[in-house]
Amino acid sequence: MWSVGSRALFQREILRFVRRPKNTFMPPAITNVLYFAVFGVILGGRIDQIAGFDYILFILPGLVVLGTISNAFENASFSIFHGRWNEYIHETLTSPLSYAEMVVAYVAASAVRGIIVGVIIAIVGRLFVPISLENGLYLVTIMATISVLFAGFGIIGGLVARDFDDLTVMNQFILRPLVFFGAVFYSLEMLDPIWQQVSLLNPMVLMVDGVRYGLLGYSDLAAIGPSAYADYVPLASLAALIGVTTLVVLLDIYLFKIGYGLTD
Amino acid sequence: MPGTTPLTAVVATARVMPPAIETQDLIKEYGELRALQGLSLTVEEGEFFGLLGPNGAGKTTFINTLVGLVRKSGGDVRVFGHDVEAEYQQARDAIGLAPQEFNVDRFFPIREVLMHKAGYHGISEDEAGKRADEVLKRVGIYDKRDERFDWLSGGMKRRLLLARALVTDPDLLILDEPTAGVDVQLRHDLWDLVTELNEEGTTVLLTTHYIEEAERLCDRVAILNEGRKVTVATPDDLKKEGSDTISVTLESPPATPPSLGDYAQDAWLTGDALEVRVDDGGSTAPQLLHDLEAEGYDIVDLEITRTSLEEVFVDLTEREDKSVTRSGEGDAGGDGSDGEGDSPHGEGGDDEEPGPEREKDFLEQDQGGVV
Repeated sequence: MWSVGSRALFQREILRFVRRPKNTFMPPAITNVLYFAVFGVILGGRIDQIAGFDYILFILPGLVVLGTISNAFENASFSIFHGRWNEYIHETLTSPLSYAEMVVAYVAASAVRGIIVGVIIAIVGRLFVPISLENGLYLVTIMATISVLFAGFGIIGGLVARDFDDLTVMNQFILRPLVFFGAVFYSLEMLDPIWQQVSLLNPMVLMVDGVRYGLLGYSDLAAIGPSAYADYVPLASLAALIGVTTLVVLLDIYLFKIGYGLTD
Repeated sequence: MPGTTPLTAVVATARVMPPAIETQDLIKEYGELRALQGLSLTVEEGEFFGLLGPNGAGKTTFINTLVGLVRKSGGDVRVFGHDVEAEYQQARDAIGLAPQEFNVDRFFPIREVLMHKAGYHGISEDEAGKRADEVLKRVGIYDKRDERFDWLSGGMKRRLLLARALVTDPDLLILDEPTAGVDVQLRHDLWDLVTELNEEGTTVLLTTHYIEEAERLCDRVAILNEGRKVTVATPDDLKKEGSDTISVTLESPPATPPSLGDYAQDAWLTGDALEVRVDDGGSTAPQLLHDLEAEGYDIVDLEITRTSLEEVFVDLTEREDKSVTRSGEGDAGGDGSDGEGDSPHGEGGDDEEPGPEREKDFLEQDQGGVV
């Protein structure tokens, strides 16, 4: 699975975004400086604490998730679609790499970009507010999982897209609203019970809540659920995400195998 | 004698070596359109094989089936004995492809593009670097190694496609219209290079519109038309399929052509010259001269015009067109549609090469999630 060939493709994918920091790393860094300054410092100073945390600290995990998944998705979808559009993905497709090796290389590189952006956002947040890592191993695991998950979704997006507009639609009109309604800027406890239930249909809630648990040691889902299961909620969220991630990556491999969007 | 292999064993081994390419009843359908219609073809190892055919004949579809860019609808395709779908990794590892389209990674300097391609084939980074330098020198663009693809001239781009095909040291080199749109000097350079490679043992599959190219380079040539194989032969044998014209200048030409034997397919007068179309000018000329002298004509001059491969090609494909039209048996590929660049899959047809402006737009769109 991790052959010289897949390492070469992984390296190529990493170099592509590392050499273009103005397009890949600077925008999320700058945007998040603005988020933290406006929402965290200026507005956040007038907002009460949520679940015992200053507002700026409460929103930090959600912003990390937003940056991580949108960059993981963007990287994979752009790389696949741009390669299809200019047909240089043929260099990969005509090589002796197995379909699983191709997918693993694309997904791993995009996940790395997502994680790097997540770390950048956390560092930016650290400039505004002290952060303590409450559940480090859990945080690393869930960050890796959601990065891989959205890199996997990005592969599908890149294969399905017929135009660059399609990629924009996916990122701006599907991902972003789901994350914003994923309890990034508010606590689920602030919602009516009916909206709490509706929010549970949004898979982003699991991710934001999981990263918040990893960083701050607080879980909204545990707080609103039955107290007897509170300790298991973060692990259940993680298990569910790992399951979905596995399915998405397997679907990616299947799509490569049948040549969906790649071959005539 | 210890350490030697008996001749019989060598012969037996040679006999079991699979062909470089073997297809049986290969079919490719795009909806109603049949781009390949039961194509059976064998290219032996070490051969220089040409594919000739008009646009839409199925040449590129055939090539893309070998490398996995097109999935066959039916039939069997093997490269060095490896099924191109069940054993796709082994099949693709053996192939170096220089396609018609400039489908090169625009993000990296060309040396790195070659290194990446070599890497995908399992070649270590150090070795890939050496090979990239080697092939860039071989095709004559080593001094451009740090340039990106878009900054190369058209001829250099063609050379790079060849370099990319060679960097993995393939056993089968596939060249799809390698000299399309290049100047005479470059064409000759490329001819020399691929001839050299073939002499070193690389099997070469060449598609071309230039008949002269096929005639000069190929051991055998297949003529395709509308997804079908019209014929496979050596260029010399193909030329024999055509007719020659013997032009005999007479001292006193008659008003109408004299009656000649069955060897004359046609005869007509052009000024003082009697023009006679025959199967083989060389063997027929003495008989013609004898017959004309027997009829009392004084012969001043004689000239034989041999059939060019191009004329044979046109003749064969026209003949095929007529037979297809006459048969009219559900020939979905006979509508003149282009089975190569006209797939329903859409983007990037044969003639659609991204220009710099279009490329610039794409690169600028990688804004990376702005959050």
